[in-house]
Amino acid sequence: MKPHEPADDDARPVSGLEQSDLELVKRAQRGERGAFDLLVLRYQHKVIKLVARLLRDPAEAEDVAQEAFVKAYRALGSFRGDSAFYTWLYRIAVNTARNSIASRQRRPLDYEADLSESEQSAVESRMRHNDTPEAAALSEEIRATVNRAVEDLPEDLRTAIILREVEGLSYEEIAAAMDCPVGTVRSRIFRAREAIDRHLKPLLD
Amino acid sequence: MTDQIREQVSALLDGELPPDEVGLLVRRMERNRELRGAFGRYSLIGETLRAPGGLVASPAFAARVSAAIDAPQGVQPGLRRPAASARARWGRPAFAAAIAASFALIAVIAVQPFAGREAAVVAAHTAAAPSGSALGGEASPTPARSQRLAGYLVAHSQFSSPIVRQNVWSGLLAADPGLSRVSYETVEGP
Repeated sequence: MKPHEPADDDARPVSGLEQSDLELVKRAQRGERGAFDLLVLRYQHKVIKLVARLLRDPAEAEDVAQEAFVKAYRALGSFRGDSAFYTWLYRIAVNTARNSIASRQRRPLDYEADLSESEQSAVESRMRHNDTPEAAALSEEIRATVNRAVEDLPEDLRTAIILREVEGLSYEEIAAAMDCPVGTVRSRIFRAREAIDRHLKPLLD
Repeated sequence: MTDQIREQVSALLDGELPPDEVGLLVRRMERNRELRGAFGRYSLIGETLRAPGGLVASPAFAARVSAAIDAPQGVQPGLRRPAASARARWGRPAFAAAIAASFALIAVIAVQPFAGREAAVVAAHTAAAPSGSALGGEASPTPARSQRLAGYLVAHSQFSSPIVRQNVWSGLLAADPGLSRVSYETVEGP
Protein backbone atom coordinates (compact mmCIF):
# COMPACT_ATOMS: atom_id res chain seq x y z
CA MET A 1 0.00 0.00 0.00
CA LYS A 2 1.24 3.45 -0.82
CA PRO A 3 0.13 5.82 1.92
CA HIS A 4 1.21 9.06 0.30
CA GLU A 5 -1.00 11.24 -1.73
CA PRO A 6 0.54 13.61 -4.21
CA ALA A 7 0.60 17.13 -2.88
CA ASP A 8 -2.26 19.02 -4.47
CA ASP A 9 -0.63 22.33 -3.94
CA ASP A 10 2.28 23.54 -1.91
CA ALA A 11 0.10 26.30 -0.50
CA ARG A 12 -2.80 23.98 0.31
CA PRO A 13 -4.91 25.72 2.93
CA VAL A 14 -4.84 23.83 6.22
CA SER A 15 -7.72 24.04 8.69
CA GLY A 16 -7.20 24.25 12.44
CA LEU A 17 -8.30 20.64 12.73
CA GLU A 18 -5.77 19.49 10.15
CA GLN A 19 -3.11 21.53 11.87
CA SER A 20 -3.98 19.87 15.15
CA ASP A 21 -3.84 16.43 13.52
CA LEU A 22 -0.49 17.27 12.01
CA GLU A 23 0.85 18.31 15.38
CA LEU A 24 -0.30 15.01 16.90
CA VAL A 25 1.13 13.04 13.97
CA LYS A 26 4.52 14.71 14.36
CA ARG A 27 4.53 13.87 18.04
CA ALA A 28 3.54 10.27 17.32
CA GLN A 29 6.30 10.05 14.71
CA ARG A 30 8.75 11.14 17.40
CA GLY A 31 7.55 8.25 19.55
CA GLU A 32 4.81 9.85 21.67
CA ARG A 33 2.30 7.04 21.73
CA GLY A 34 -0.20 9.19 23.61
CA ALA A 35 -0.47 11.47 20.59
CA PHE A 36 -1.49 8.58 18.33
CA ASP A 37 -3.98 7.38 20.96
CA LEU A 38 -5.69 10.76 20.67
CA LEU A 39 -5.91 10.41 16.89
CA VAL A 40 -7.58 7.03 17.43
CA LEU A 41 -10.05 8.59 19.86
CA ARG A 42 -10.76 11.40 17.41
CA TYR A 43 -11.36 9.21 14.35
CA GLN A 44 -12.57 5.89 15.77
CA HIS A 45 -16.28 6.54 15.16
CA LYS A 46 -15.76 7.90 11.65
CA VAL A 47 -13.55 4.97 10.64
CA ILE A 48 -15.91 2.38 12.10
CA LYS A 49 -18.89 3.94 10.34
CA LEU A 50 -17.00 4.03 7.06
CA VAL A 51 -15.81 0.44 7.35
CA ALA A 52 -19.26 -0.80 8.44
CA ARG A 53 -20.79 0.75 5.31
CA LEU A 54 -18.19 -0.89 3.09
CA LEU A 55 -18.37 -4.32 4.72
CA ARG A 56 -22.13 -4.38 5.26
CA ASP A 57 -21.31 -6.45 8.33
CA PRO A 58 -21.38 -4.51 11.58
CA ALA A 59 -20.00 -7.51 13.48
CA GLU A 60 -16.71 -7.23 11.60
CA ALA A 61 -16.42 -3.45 11.46
CA GLU A 62 -14.48 -2.98 14.71
CA ASP A 63 -11.99 -5.72 13.84
CA VAL A 64 -11.27 -4.20 10.45
CA ALA A 65 -11.11 -0.68 11.88
CA GLN A 66 -8.65 -1.90 14.51
CA GLU A 67 -6.50 -3.44 11.79
CA ALA A 68 -6.62 -0.16 9.85
CA PHE A 69 -5.45 1.89 12.84
CA VAL A 70 -2.60 -0.54 13.51
CA LYS A 71 -1.54 -0.33 9.86
CA ALA A 72 -1.71 3.45 10.03
CA TYR A 73 0.49 3.48 13.12
CA ARG A 74 3.06 1.20 11.55
CA ALA A 75 3.11 3.33 8.36
CA LEU A 76 3.11 6.64 10.21
CA GLY A 77 6.79 7.23 9.46
CA SER A 78 5.95 7.58 5.78
CA PHE A 79 3.21 10.18 6.32
CA ARG A 80 4.57 13.53 5.16
CA GLY A 81 1.49 15.70 5.47
CA ASP A 82 0.94 16.06 1.72
CA SER A 83 -2.70 15.32 2.40
CA ALA A 84 -4.82 15.69 5.50
CA PHE A 85 -4.18 12.93 8.04
CA TYR A 86 -7.82 11.81 7.93
CA THR A 87 -7.67 11.47 4.13
CA TRP A 88 -4.64 9.23 4.50
CA LEU A 89 -6.26 7.28 7.33
CA TYR A 90 -9.51 6.79 5.37
CA ARG A 91 -7.53 5.44 2.43
CA ILE A 92 -5.91 2.85 4.69
CA ALA A 93 -9.33 1.98 6.15
CA VAL A 94 -10.85 1.55 2.68
CA ASN A 95 -7.99 -0.70 1.56
CA THR A 96 -8.21 -2.76 4.75
CA ALA A 97 -11.96 -3.19 4.26
CA ARG A 98 -11.38 -4.25 0.64
CA ASN A 99 -8.83 -6.83 1.77
CA SER A 100 -11.29 -8.12 4.35
CA ILE A 101 -14.02 -8.47 1.73
CA ALA A 102 -11.61 -10.31 -0.58
CA SER A 103 -10.57 -12.56 2.30
CA ARG A 104 -14.20 -13.29 3.12
CA GLN A 105 -14.81 -14.35 -0.47
CA ARG A 106 -11.91 -16.80 -0.16
CA ARG A 107 -13.24 -18.36 3.03
CA PRO A 108 -14.54 -21.59 1.46
CA LEU A 109 -10.85 -22.47 0.96
CA ASP A 110 -10.12 -21.95 4.63
CA TYR A 111 -9.10 -25.39 5.82
CA GLU A 112 -8.77 -24.15 9.37
CA ALA A 113 -12.53 -23.90 9.69
CA ASP A 114 -13.86 -26.90 11.53
CA LEU A 115 -17.47 -26.15 10.68
CA SER A 116 -19.26 -26.98 7.49
CA GLU A 117 -20.13 -24.05 5.28
CA SER A 118 -23.77 -24.08 6.41
CA GLU A 119 -22.78 -24.25 10.08
CA GLN A 120 -20.28 -21.44 9.56
CA SER A 121 -22.94 -19.37 7.88
CA ALA A 122 -25.38 -20.00 10.74
CA VAL A 123 -22.81 -18.95 13.34
CA GLU A 124 -21.96 -15.79 11.44
CA SER A 125 -25.62 -15.01 11.04
CA ARG A 126 -26.15 -15.41 14.80
CA MET A 127 -23.14 -13.19 15.45
CA ARG A 128 -24.59 -10.54 13.20
CA HIS A 129 -27.99 -10.71 14.78
CA ASN A 130 -26.54 -10.73 18.29
CA ASP A 131 -24.32 -7.76 17.62
CA THR A 132 -26.52 -5.56 15.54
CA PRO A 133 -29.50 -4.91 17.80
CA GLU A 134 -27.23 -4.17 20.77
CA ALA A 135 -25.04 -1.83 18.74
CA ALA A 136 -28.05 -0.25 17.10
CA ALA A 137 -29.78 0.23 20.46
CA LEU A 138 -26.71 1.89 21.95
CA SER A 139 -26.31 4.09 18.91
CA GLU A 140 -29.95 5.13 19.09
CA GLU A 141 -29.68 5.79 22.83
CA ILE A 142 -26.60 7.94 22.28
CA ARG A 143 -28.33 9.88 19.51
CA ALA A 144 -31.44 10.51 21.61
CA THR A 145 -29.41 11.48 24.69
CA VAL A 146 -27.18 13.91 22.80
CA ASN A 147 -30.12 15.53 21.01
CA ARG A 148 -32.11 15.91 24.24
CA ALA A 149 -29.09 17.40 25.99
CA VAL A 150 -28.49 19.86 23.13
CA GLU A 151 -32.15 20.96 23.22
CA ASP A 152 -31.84 21.63 26.94
CA LEU A 153 -28.77 23.85 26.54
CA PRO A 154 -29.03 27.61 27.02
CA GLU A 155 -29.26 29.30 23.65
CA ASP A 156 -25.73 30.75 23.59
CA LEU A 157 -24.16 27.33 24.31
CA ARG A 158 -26.44 25.56 21.83
CA THR A 159 -25.62 28.03 19.06
CA ALA A 160 -21.88 27.76 19.70
CA ILE A 161 -21.79 23.94 19.67
CA ILE A 162 -24.01 23.69 16.57
CA LEU A 163 -21.90 26.21 14.66
CA ARG A 164 -18.79 24.27 15.60
CA GLU A 165 -19.89 20.66 15.21
CA VAL A 166 -22.56 20.84 12.52
CA GLU A 167 -21.43 23.84 10.47
CA GLY A 168 -17.72 23.25 11.05
CA LEU A 169 -16.91 26.90 11.73
CA SER A 170 -13.64 27.90 13.41
CA TYR A 171 -13.68 29.68 16.76
CA GLU A 172 -12.88 32.93 15.00
CA GLU A 173 -15.80 32.52 12.58
CA ILE A 174 -18.14 31.65 15.44
CA ALA A 175 -16.92 34.70 17.36
CA ALA A 176 -17.77 36.88 14.37
CA ALA A 177 -21.18 35.24 13.96
CA MET A 178 -22.05 35.54 17.65
CA ASP A 179 -20.37 38.91 18.12
CA CYS A 180 -18.26 37.87 21.08
CA PRO A 181 -14.55 37.26 21.82
CA VAL A 182 -12.87 34.04 20.70
CA GLY A 183 -12.18 33.13 24.35
CA THR A 184 -15.91 33.25 25.05
CA VAL A 185 -16.56 30.91 22.12
CA ARG A 186 -14.01 28.46 23.44
CA SER A 187 -15.61 28.57 26.88
CA ARG A 188 -19.16 28.18 25.52
CA ILE A 189 -18.25 25.19 23.40
CA PHE A 190 -16.52 23.57 26.35
CA ARG A 191 -19.48 24.20 28.67
CA ALA A 192 -21.87 22.82 26.05
CA ARG A 193 -19.78 19.66 25.74
CA GLU A 194 -19.59 19.26 29.49
CA ALA A 195 -23.36 19.61 29.83
CA ILE A 196 -23.98 16.99 27.14
CA ASP A 197 -21.27 14.74 28.56
CA ARG A 198 -22.99 14.62 31.96
CA HIS A 199 -25.82 12.72 30.24
CA LEU A 200 -23.64 10.74 27.84
CA LYS A 201 -21.00 9.40 30.21
CA PRO A 202 -23.32 7.12 32.24
CA LEU A 203 -24.37 5.39 29.01
CA LEU A 204 -20.81 4.48 28.13
CA ASP A 205 -19.45 3.55 31.57
CA MET B 1 -8.85 17.74 37.25
CA THR B 2 -9.71 21.37 36.67
CA ASP B 3 -12.19 22.78 34.20
CA GLN B 4 -9.31 24.71 32.69
CA ILE B 5 -7.60 21.51 31.60
CA ARG B 6 -10.82 20.03 30.27
CA GLU B 7 -11.39 23.24 28.33
CA GLN B 8 -7.94 22.73 26.81
CA VAL B 9 -9.00 19.19 25.85
CA SER B 10 -12.08 20.61 24.15
CA ALA B 11 -9.98 23.19 22.26
CA LEU B 12 -7.47 20.48 21.25
CA LEU B 13 -10.29 18.47 19.71
CA ASP B 14 -11.25 21.50 17.61
CA GLY B 15 -7.67 22.21 16.59
CA GLU B 16 -7.90 25.53 18.43
CA LEU B 17 -5.36 24.98 21.21
CA PRO B 18 -2.25 27.16 20.90
CA PRO B 19 0.67 24.99 19.67
CA ASP B 20 2.78 25.74 22.73
CA GLU B 21 0.10 24.19 24.97
CA VAL B 22 -0.32 20.99 22.96
CA GLY B 23 2.78 19.14 24.16
CA LEU B 24 2.09 19.44 27.86
CA LEU B 25 -1.58 18.53 27.41
CA VAL B 26 -0.79 15.45 25.29
CA ARG B 27 1.65 14.21 27.94
CA ARG B 28 -0.90 14.92 30.66
CA MET B 29 -3.57 13.01 28.74
CA GLU B 30 -1.24 10.08 28.24
CA ARG B 31 -1.17 9.66 32.02
CA ASN B 32 -4.79 10.58 32.68
CA ARG B 33 -7.47 8.13 31.64
CA GLU B 34 -10.32 10.46 32.57
CA LEU B 35 -9.01 13.18 30.25
CA ARG B 36 -8.69 10.69 27.40
CA GLY B 37 -12.23 9.53 28.12
CA ALA B 38 -13.51 13.10 27.94
CA PHE B 39 -11.69 13.62 24.63
CA GLY B 40 -13.32 10.47 23.23
CA ARG B 41 -16.80 11.46 24.41
CA TYR B 42 -16.47 15.02 23.10
CA SER B 43 -15.55 13.48 19.77
CA LEU B 44 -18.58 11.20 19.93
CA ILE B 45 -20.87 14.17 20.64
CA GLY B 46 -19.65 15.90 17.48
CA GLU B 47 -19.97 12.75 15.41
CA THR B 48 -23.52 12.18 16.67
CA LEU B 49 -24.55 15.74 15.85
CA ARG B 50 -23.01 15.63 12.38
CA ALA B 51 -24.01 12.12 11.34
CA PRO B 52 -26.62 10.60 13.62
CA GLY B 53 -27.14 6.85 13.41
CA GLY B 54 -24.74 4.16 12.30
CA LEU B 55 -22.23 2.34 14.41
CA VAL B 56 -20.18 3.93 17.14
CA ALA B 57 -17.00 2.50 18.59
CA SER B 58 -17.41 0.42 21.71
CA PRO B 59 -15.91 2.04 24.83
CA ALA B 60 -12.93 -0.34 24.84
CA PHE B 61 -12.09 0.12 21.16
CA ALA B 62 -9.25 2.65 21.56
CA ALA B 63 -7.66 0.54 24.31
CA ARG B 64 -7.82 -2.52 22.03
CA VAL B 65 -6.08 -0.61 19.25
CA SER B 66 -3.40 0.48 21.69
CA ALA B 67 -2.85 -3.13 22.83
CA ALA B 68 -2.72 -4.31 19.21
CA ILE B 69 -0.03 -1.73 18.42
CA ASP B 70 2.02 -2.96 21.36
CA ALA B 71 1.64 -6.59 20.28
CA PRO B 72 4.23 -8.18 17.96
CA GLN B 73 3.55 -7.70 14.25
CA GLY B 74 1.09 -10.25 12.90
CA VAL B 75 -0.66 -10.65 16.25
CA GLN B 76 -3.83 -8.66 16.77
CA PRO B 77 -5.16 -9.11 20.30
CA GLY B 78 -8.84 -8.52 20.81
CA LEU B 79 -9.92 -9.50 17.32
CA ARG B 80 -13.17 -11.39 17.38
CA ARG B 81 -12.21 -13.19 14.18
CA PRO B 82 -8.87 -14.32 12.79
CA ALA B 83 -6.99 -11.60 10.96
CA ALA B 84 -7.06 -11.71 7.18
CA SER B 85 -3.32 -12.33 7.13
CA ALA B 86 -3.83 -15.52 9.10
CA ARG B 87 -6.39 -16.69 6.59
CA ALA B 88 -4.00 -16.04 3.75
CA ARG B 89 -1.43 -18.34 5.33
CA TRP B 90 -2.10 -21.05 2.77
CA GLY B 91 -0.72 -18.92 0.04
CA ARG B 92 2.69 -18.53 1.60
CA PRO B 93 5.65 -20.29 0.03
CA ALA B 94 6.63 -21.67 3.45
CA PHE B 95 3.45 -23.70 3.41
CA ALA B 96 4.81 -26.19 0.90
CA ALA B 97 7.90 -26.83 2.99
CA ALA B 98 5.85 -27.13 6.18
CA ILE B 99 3.40 -29.62 4.76
CA ALA B 100 6.29 -31.69 3.39
CA ALA B 101 7.84 -31.80 6.85
CA SER B 102 4.50 -32.90 8.34
CA PHE B 103 4.26 -35.76 5.87
CA ALA B 104 7.83 -36.73 6.70
CA LEU B 105 6.81 -37.01 10.35
CA ILE B 106 3.80 -39.16 9.45
CA ALA B 107 6.07 -41.47 7.45
CA VAL B 108 8.45 -41.77 10.36
CA ILE B 109 5.65 -42.66 12.77
CA ALA B 110 4.30 -45.24 10.35
CA VAL B 111 7.61 -47.12 10.29
CA GLN B 112 8.17 -46.89 14.05
CA PRO B 113 6.93 -50.43 14.92
CA PHE B 114 9.42 -51.88 12.46
CA ALA B 115 12.45 -49.73 13.00
CA GLY B 116 12.30 -49.29 16.77
CA ARG B 117 11.41 -46.26 18.80
CA GLU B 118 14.88 -44.76 19.07
CA ALA B 119 15.52 -44.93 15.36
CA ALA B 120 12.16 -43.28 14.73
CA VAL B 121 12.90 -40.43 17.06
CA VAL B 122 16.28 -39.85 15.43
CA ALA B 123 14.72 -40.09 11.96
CA ALA B 124 11.96 -37.68 12.91
CA HIS B 125 14.52 -35.26 14.20
CA THR B 126 16.58 -35.57 11.04
CA ALA B 127 13.56 -35.12 8.77
CA ALA B 128 12.23 -32.10 10.59
CA ALA B 129 15.44 -30.29 11.42
CA PRO B 130 18.50 -31.27 9.47
CA SER B 131 20.77 -29.06 11.58
CA GLY B 132 20.01 -31.43 14.42
CA SER B 133 20.63 -31.51 18.14
CA ALA B 134 22.05 -34.18 20.41
CA LEU B 135 19.65 -36.94 21.27
CA GLY B 136 20.47 -39.50 23.92
CA GLY B 137 20.77 -43.18 23.29
CA GLU B 138 18.30 -44.45 25.91
CA ALA B 139 15.65 -46.85 24.79
CA SER B 140 12.86 -44.70 26.24
CA PRO B 141 12.59 -41.01 25.27
CA THR B 142 13.17 -38.54 28.09
CA PRO B 143 10.63 -35.77 28.78
CA ALA B 144 13.11 -33.26 27.36
CA ARG B 145 13.41 -35.22 24.14
CA SER B 146 9.63 -35.62 23.99
CA GLN B 147 9.29 -31.91 24.40
CA ARG B 148 11.73 -31.25 21.56
CA LEU B 149 9.89 -33.67 19.32
CA ALA B 150 6.57 -32.09 20.20
CA GLY B 151 8.13 -28.72 19.45
CA TYR B 152 8.99 -29.80 15.94
CA LEU B 153 5.54 -31.22 15.52
CA VAL B 154 3.82 -28.03 16.57
CA ALA B 155 6.16 -25.85 14.57
CA HIS B 156 5.39 -27.74 11.41
CA SER B 157 1.78 -28.69 11.96
CA GLN B 158 0.58 -25.14 12.62
CA PHE B 159 0.50 -24.80 8.85
CA SER B 160 -1.32 -28.09 8.28
CA SER B 161 -5.01 -28.93 8.34
CA PRO B 162 -6.80 -30.12 11.53
CA ILE B 163 -7.11 -33.65 10.14
CA VAL B 164 -3.38 -33.96 9.50
CA ARG B 165 -2.63 -32.49 12.93
CA GLN B 166 -4.99 -34.91 14.66
CA ASN B 167 -3.54 -37.92 12.84
CA VAL B 168 0.01 -36.95 13.64
CA TRP B 169 -0.79 -36.33 17.30
CA SER B 170 -2.65 -39.65 17.63
CA GLY B 171 0.22 -41.55 16.05
CA LEU B 172 2.80 -39.83 18.15
CA LEU B 173 0.93 -40.28 21.43
CA ALA B 174 0.42 -43.96 20.69
CA ALA B 175 4.12 -44.35 20.03
CA ASP B 176 5.25 -42.23 22.98
CA PRO B 177 2.77 -41.70 25.86
CA GLY B 178 5.35 -39.39 27.43
CA LEU B 179 4.37 -36.75 24.93
CA SER B 180 1.01 -36.32 26.64
CA ARG B 181 2.91 -34.60 29.43
CA VAL B 182 3.92 -31.84 27.03
CA SER B 183 1.11 -29.43 26.38
CA TYR B 184 0.58 -27.74 23.03
CA GLU B 185 0.62 -24.34 24.74
CA THR B 186 3.89 -25.04 26.49
CA VAL B 187 5.85 -25.80 23.38
CA GLU B 188 4.19 -23.06 21.36
CA GLY B 189 5.12 -20.31 23.79
CA PRO B 190 8.18 -18.09 23.45
